[in-house]
Amino acid sequence: MPVSGKRTQSALVETTPKRLLSHLLTFKNAVRLPIIIWQALFFIAPLMFMVAMSFFIVRNYRMTEAFEMKNWLKMMGRDYFWDSYGLTIGLATLATLVVMTVAFPAAYTLAFKVSENTRRWAVFLLIIPFFTSYLVRIFSWYVILAESGVINAMLGYIGLGPYIMLNTKFGTIVGYMTLTLPLVIILQTLSLANIDRSLVEAAHNLGCRPWRTVFRIVLPLARTGLIIAAVFCFILSFGDFVSPYYLGGSKPPTLPILIVDTVKSGQQWPRAAVVAVVMMVTLFIVAFGGIAAAYRRRVR
Amino acid sequence: MADALVEFDSVVKKFGDFTAVERMNFTIDEGEFVAIMGPSGCGKTTTLRMLAGLEQPSKGEVRMQGRVMNAVPAHERDTPLVWQSLALFPFLNARENVEFGLQMRGVDAATRRKKALDWLDRLEIGEFAERDISSLSGGQKQRVALARSLVTEPKILLLDEPLSALDANLVIRMQSMLTRLQRELGITFVYVTHSQSEAFAMADRVVIMSRGRIAQIGTPKDIYRAPDNRFVAEFVGRNNIISGKIKSSSGKSVLINGSLGDFKVSLGGRAKPSPGSEGSFVIAADLVRLSSKKPRAGNQIECSLISEEFIGSVVTLFLEARDGSEFKVQIQERELADMDLKHMGKVFVSWDPERAHYIGAD
Repeated sequence: MPVSGKRTQSALVETTPKRLLSHLLTFKNAVRLPIIIWQALFFIAPLMFMVAMSFFIVRNYRMTEAFEMKNWLKMMGRDYFWDSYGLTIGLATLATLVVMTVAFPAAYTLAFKVSENTRRWAVFLLIIPFFTSYLVRIFSWYVILAESGVINAMLGYIGLGPYIMLNTKFGTIVGYMTLTLPLVIILQTLSLANIDRSLVEAAHNLGCRPWRTVFRIVLPLARTGLIIAAVFCFILSFGDFVSPYYLGGSKPPTLPILIVDTVKSGQQWPRAAVVAVVMMVTLFIVAFGGIAAAYRRRVR
Repeated sequence: MADALVEFDSVVKKFGDFTAVERMNFTIDEGEFVAIMGPSGCGKTTTLRMLAGLEQPSKGEVRMQGRVMNAVPAHERDTPLVWQSLALFPFLNARENVEFGLQMRGVDAATRRKKALDWLDRLEIGEFAERDISSLSGGQKQRVALARSLVTEPKILLLDEPLSALDANLVIRMQSMLTRLQRELGITFVYVTHSQSEAFAMADRVVIMSRGRIAQIGTPKDIYRAPDNRFVAEFVGRNNIISGKIKSSSGKSVLINGSLGDFKVSLGGRAKPSPGSEGSFVIAADLVRLSSKKPRAGNQIECSLISEEFIGSVVTLFLEARDGSEFKVQIQERELADMDLKHMGKVFVSWDPERAHYIGAD
């Protein structure tokens, strides 16, 4: 035994690369490895490339490697960029507020007022919209929202309208809601259903009226899930191209539309990269802030 | 019954097809400590929840101080409940939890704070007032829950197995604290438990429930020494139940013929068994004599020792009679030491007719 032990030890010391490999191939790492490689290859690398690209320059419609601040200065110095940025944040925030508000009564009912069986079916039905392509669902709104569409036809009977709903901010919000509402209802339902019922009863027992209980007890208890639902809603809306383009009429452009426009006009990939980096940074801040708020230990 | 604080009048509670509480009638007086006790699923928690307004009776009336409470929602009642899980709000600290009920009643912040701190001090956890609930120990949380319920100065406090999560030593301490509090405050405590020791240690009156019905109401001593029926006799204490045919009945006592012989049982007065019918009696494990020699006369059973259970000063012996039935005997440990039981083989248990308690056929 002492002999072989000594040999193993010396072998390990001598062949460092081999030791490193055997360390890398422990089971724990072997399980982690695919996700690490995947993330490095398809997330970190493109992200780095995109950041790098924002410093490239375009000459004669050809992108050339460089490290210049030109793109950043140009984009940051333009009013239309900041208008677009404000519009995108505004629309995504509005969509988040509307979706969270509309979803809450539905989620509350599903979590507290119906049987477990009904809740299961409702969650299943809420998944069904995701069976169909988002783009197809957006196009189906044309029929409903158009000037001679379903809604205006019905309003026409009672002598109202026609109202213009396509190519407006209203259309964009409808599109965002199509994208996020089912998901937000599911997330809200799950976080509300996890609340310990005895806490709600304890509030009633101590003299808290039902409405007040929702704000004083239910919302704080469901905080983590609700904030995460809101963060999802904001992120999906903020980055969405389809709704503002097809239902919102693309003018004025939101940031995703601005990216496409910038690329189309004179192959300005680097300037588009600037917009993309700004979007990424914004979403990182929102996601980190949201999750920090969601998991903070106390509310006040 | 001018004193009755709570009245249950023919109360029935159904959940779908399941009947949780069946035609319940009983009253609770002001300042009384009542324990509702029974096995799980007997309807004791449902009864408590009907008092708190968290469940509504399907039939019958629950009255408090003469007022019908059926339609009064939970948040309009002054019936604080201490939950088994305690149900403390995890996002509030100890003091804020205690203040909650006062805040709901519109008490101003300064008064609220003072009352909450007073109560936390009174329950000896004043130093933890600003601590998060999650950082408190089981006993401390218990006290916060009590303070939260008592701070609004209710006439009645409802407790749903509040001590079941604590370890044995802490349970004893909390029991004495609860009884002391109840005496000092003079308010009614309704305490739901499955634990006989908790109910008997604290309550003035015990309600024993079985399958949604009241099996017996009485003082702990009544229930322990004079169970009304077989269920109570089996559920409470260490009782031996012997059944047989009534051979003769004199009005003051009966002679019951069972598979182990004839036994004379004194009658308490109420029961008037007629000869020829079936009857049972209870003889408590701690009311019998144990001897190695056959007694000359009287109620007796010859047994052999199966096992013994040592709990401290008292030992429970599990004996087996001729017909294979089990017989339990409780004696003082030092008496047992004198007896040298291991070498006895056969033992005789005997008791006076006055020690046995007649319970009828059921």
